[in-house]
Amino acid sequence: MKPRDPTMHTIHLTVNGEREEVSVPAGMTLLELLRERLYLTGVKEGCGAGECGACTVLVNGLAVNSCLVLAVEVDGAEIQTVEGEAKDGKLSELQQAFIDEGAIQCGFCTPGMIMSARGLLSKNPHPTRSEIVEALAGNLCRCTGYEAIIAAVEKAAERGPKDNRR
Amino acid sequence: MIGEFEYAHVSSVEQGCTLLTKHNGNAKILAGGTDLLVNIRNGKDSPTLLVDLKGIEELAEFQPNGKEGALIGASVPLNVLAEDRVIRRNYRALAEAAASIGTYQIRNRATLAGNLCNASPAADMAPALFVLDAVATVVGPHGTRTLPVQDLFVGVKENALSLDEVVTAITLPSQKPQIRTRFLKIQRIRGHDLALLNMAGCLDAASGKLRIAIGSCAKTPLLLPSLNEPVSEDASIDALVEKLNALAQGTIQPISDLRASAEYRRAMVSVLLKKILGALLHPKEEK
Amino acid sequence: MSAKEENLSYVGKSIPREDGAAKATGTARFVHDLSLPGMLHAAPMKSPYARARIVRINTDAARALPGVRAVLTGDDLNFLLGLYMQDKPILARGVVRYQGEPVAAVAADTLETARAACALIEVEYEPQTPILDPREAMTPEAPLVHEDLHAYHYMEGVFAPKPHSNIAHHQKIRVGNVDQGLEESDLVMKESFYNPPVPHVPMETHAVIAQALPNDQIEIHTSSQSPYTVRNLLCHSFGLPHANVRVHVPYVGGGFGGKAGIHLEPLAYCLSKAAGGRPVKLVATREEEFNTLPSRQGLHSEITIGVSSEGRINALKVVYTWDAGAYADYGVNVGRAAAYAGAGPYRVPNCRIDSYVVYTNKVFGTAFRGFGHLEVLWGIERAIDIVAHRLGMDPYAFRMKNLLKEGDRTITGETITAGHGRPDKCLEAVAAAIDWGEESPPSQEEPQKVRGKGIAVLHKAPAMPTFTSCSAIIKLNEDASADIAISGVDMGQGTYTALRQIAAEELKLPIEKVHMTWECDTAFSPYDWQTVASRFAFMGGNAVIEAARDCLQQIKQVAATALKTSPEQIVCLAGQAFRMGEKERAILYEKLALGYTFENGNAIGGPVIGHGRYIATGLTHLDLATGQGLPALFWTYGAHGVELEVDKETGNVEILKIVTALDAGKVLNPKLCKGQVVGGVLQGLGSALFEGFIFSEEGQLLNPSFTDHKIPTMKDIPHASEQIFIETPQPDGPYGARGIAEHPMISVPSVVGNALYDALGIDFTKLPLTAERIYLAIEKERKP
Repeated sequence: MKPRDPTMHTIHLTVNGEREEVSVPAGMTLLELLRERLYLTGVKEGCGAGECGACTVLVNGLAVNSCLVLAVEVDGAEIQTVEGEAKDGKLSELQQAFIDEGAIQCGFCTPGMIMSARGLLSKNPHPTRSEIVEALAGNLCRCTGYEAIIAAVEKAAERGPKDNRR
Repeated sequence: MIGEFEYAHVSSVEQGCTLLTKHNGNAKILAGGTDLLVNIRNGKDSPTLLVDLKGIEELAEFQPNGKEGALIGASVPLNVLAEDRVIRRNYRALAEAAASIGTYQIRNRATLAGNLCNASPAADMAPALFVLDAVATVVGPHGTRTLPVQDLFVGVKENALSLDEVVTAITLPSQKPQIRTRFLKIQRIRGHDLALLNMAGCLDAASGKLRIAIGSCAKTPLLLPSLNEPVSEDASIDALVEKLNALAQGTIQPISDLRASAEYRRAMVSVLLKKILGALLHPKEEK
Repeated sequence: MSAKEENLSYVGKSIPREDGAAKATGTARFVHDLSLPGMLHAAPMKSPYARARIVRINTDAARALPGVRAVLTGDDLNFLLGLYMQDKPILARGVVRYQGEPVAAVAADTLETARAACALIEVEYEPQTPILDPREAMTPEAPLVHEDLHAYHYMEGVFAPKPHSNIAHHQKIRVGNVDQGLEESDLVMKESFYNPPVPHVPMETHAVIAQALPNDQIEIHTSSQSPYTVRNLLCHSFGLPHANVRVHVPYVGGGFGGKAGIHLEPLAYCLSKAAGGRPVKLVATREEEFNTLPSRQGLHSEITIGVSSEGRINALKVVYTWDAGAYADYGVNVGRAAAYAGAGPYRVPNCRIDSYVVYTNKVFGTAFRGFGHLEVLWGIERAIDIVAHRLGMDPYAFRMKNLLKEGDRTITGETITAGHGRPDKCLEAVAAAIDWGEESPPSQEEPQKVRGKGIAVLHKAPAMPTFTSCSAIIKLNEDASADIAISGVDMGQGTYTALRQIAAEELKLPIEKVHMTWECDTAFSPYDWQTVASRFAFMGGNAVIEAARDCLQQIKQVAATALKTSPEQIVCLAGQAFRMGEKERAILYEKLALGYTFENGNAIGGPVIGHGRYIATGLTHLDLATGQGLPALFWTYGAHGVELEVDKETGNVEILKIVTALDAGKVLNPKLCKGQVVGGVLQGLGSALFEGFIFSEEGQLLNPSFTDHKIPTMKDIPHASEQIFIETPQPDGPYGARGIAEHPMISVPSVVGNALYDALGIDFTKLPLTAERIYLAIEKERKP
């Protein structure tokens, strides 16, 4: 019994500043669209169920689990992934702070952490520690114990441009 | 692919209802997706059509400070409720409940209407809405009706809507300054977790009317029967806790599952009562 | 290779990771991110039963689905694999032994098609009653999980499976006379302890791409801690020469032991072969990571300890019953290691330990950070506290009286030397850091919250074969930068950075010019056993030192000829070589890296390539009757101190401050070492407070996802933490260093248990210490 061919939807979206037009089935998640169609493999799958945050990207500036967003839902949206964080080959203050503070070990949670932090700093350039924790607690890490990650976001907030929006 | 289904982005509630009627139970509303898509992925749910109402302006309406009270459209994400200054001041338990759900990323998508319609016995939004006398506006092919939010809950993951009805908004009566509310939740960890038990309280400090609602303690969240006498700020918290706890123990029917035993759930009722009553009666002493 | 304290340029400094930028930009590629032309996607079909006979499998409908390129069942694959014991089939054959066990697998054009095909496979099972308790499994009436245990191949002389039983291994320690020792004791305490099985939860699940190439060649890309073990076990089981198999390991998103040994690789390879040689990618879903892939074994401990009234340990009798789950290919070594380490870092004159690794019908166990030591020290460190309290003695003083010191012998007969490290210094440091002896002030505003302090010690040596080795190759490039090739894996712990530091120090090169080759490839990265056991920095460091010195020797040789002197007269410094006292005539490494060319055009030397290796020497197998021998390459000692607060009304625990001290020998990189400790301690707190599998009575895993198996989030970190490093040099360690990777989590549950006694006067013996468990125990005390 062959599964029926799903209806394809043509959607337009901007990803890291680049305009994309893709044709997707309803059941394709934003995570799959980013990784498999647009080859943005910096976005990771950790659980597929919205529990671990490894797949975090920004949709119109808001951090979301891309595994629980359908591609068809983001027609017309602006998406930011970790690939858009560095500009012209230069790491952002946030990325540099992660490196400097030892906030990276295996690196698998790192893109999602950076996007959650980017979402926070874009709205709130000088967050308190508890605001940092609130914004990043949905990103699981098994390696670092989180202290260095909090320190990295604090450092990026200190160092970052007054308008931390990128 | 998270599942095999079709998708329809509709521009009016009417269109949405029409599709629901047509698909006769095989179509589901896609709100935040944080419950529905998880259920589709693990096979608990297999709709053939998802109907997306998020593009409808009316459903995105958010008026926390209207003359008649607060209006929260069905597609308003929980983070908006958690962070809004007016909601935090006037309907504090609602903001506390919204902030307690899932993670920051989940709350940027999950909606109040979605949490209620999912009708989990542990629905974190339910207790606060029960004690705040919240009302759901429901639209169907036969017109519009309203019902108290507690009437939305019929059974475990069973809501009172017919297959082609849609919740379009939740409204809350306008708050007087003497109304105080609080929400608390028992979890296994400090990070994101489902409620082992949750509770909201609402005290009208002027009239002494007190309402308590408890979740994750029965097939649906429960509004406790009201006390006969008004509650004064000078009342003994311990005596009040004892009375309400006795009332609660007679009403709730918690189960033992892998998350907690019934015994623990029952024991935590008085713990939450004490904290909530302490906050409601003596808000100035709160830490 | 002793520590050179003076003028170290890089070793001992917090040099940042070289891989930081790749990981922070998302350009670091994990197996999850790789794709090969023509690649198929695979999905397994798993057993719903914990124990059942497979009566019949019908794959017709699955094969007929368009896009399906291969379908396999256990009947197609008559192989048994395993690291120490070959008991694992690739797919279940004839019987299923745990709920979640793969019974069939499909490779198809898309993952959706593969999963749809799995759903079409019809399996008829005859369910049987599962054996879930290892103690029951040890009784003579218990049905056998492995009927053919007697016929399995295993590492002989090291392991001792009991034929026609569920006992995969029995390790014994017999020292002195335990019965007499207990009789002569002034106080004897007996207690039972329990650890549930716990999953590793790496953020990257297991993933592999395998391709069966012509002429029995195999190429594999795998998220693994052990490329050479993958190759070796594949070759061994499929009867192939080693040169036929090539294993690549790119970036790995965490392992914690779960990616050591061999896991999904054979299945992916067999599917590729069945699919006509197309590459097959098999990635575990998160649920499969919990439910199908192995975890940490559960443990029941029965500890009897006899002490004198002055607080000296006379005798220790222990039975460790390991819940190995359905397979014990790696678990047998956990049972072995637990025995030889199973008395803790104490002087125990009379000791009897029996460590049984027992099969049950549950998801099976494998290597997990700590390798049995967390489980064992839960019991031992709790028992030490309990017996100290019963004697009316301060647990700190009790430990100080009994901790191993120079000249003492361990329970396997090893003599402690000055180079072993100092558990007493570690304990002293943590006790001071938490003001041990001073009671925590009770909370004024919240009388239901009580505080307590606890201490615990830890020890671990690498648990590995006596002949374990490591090797490294360093080559110089035209610009005199150096590339290091090694097959140990940096899965986040940072060893590659430490090795770069060591190489730069030895080569006398600026560190910016020294690079690790990030992908391991068995075709050109030289042999390393496995990245486990906290042995990589030690053995890899020594191998890199030797390789670097080999390079230096070649440089000196050529420079000597060029400068018309002897190699002993040559000094190497800052990327230059010169004759002693003649720095102005120095030759840059760039002029020597590919040989040296004289002015007239004559050339000498050649490309500089250094090799180094390190093999464990002097280790012996343990006597199977008494456990005597030398199993330990080195011991790392440590201690934790904790101050916590318990809410008596809810049972919730807040960790106010947790301090960890480790005798690292030499801290190669302070920031990386601190990172290991902070991360390991939090993973330990997870095990202490809420992690653990929950099974139904039918043996189904009830919490195979993040919904109900929680791991610590950013909100669950301790209020304060401190890391202290003692440096008693390890004489044969690189710059005096020892391994510390597993150690941070080992005694975290025990220190929490000890502090809870201080706070509540209640002795907890079962993990995890959930709020509910604590609350119910408090209630029971209140109204017995």
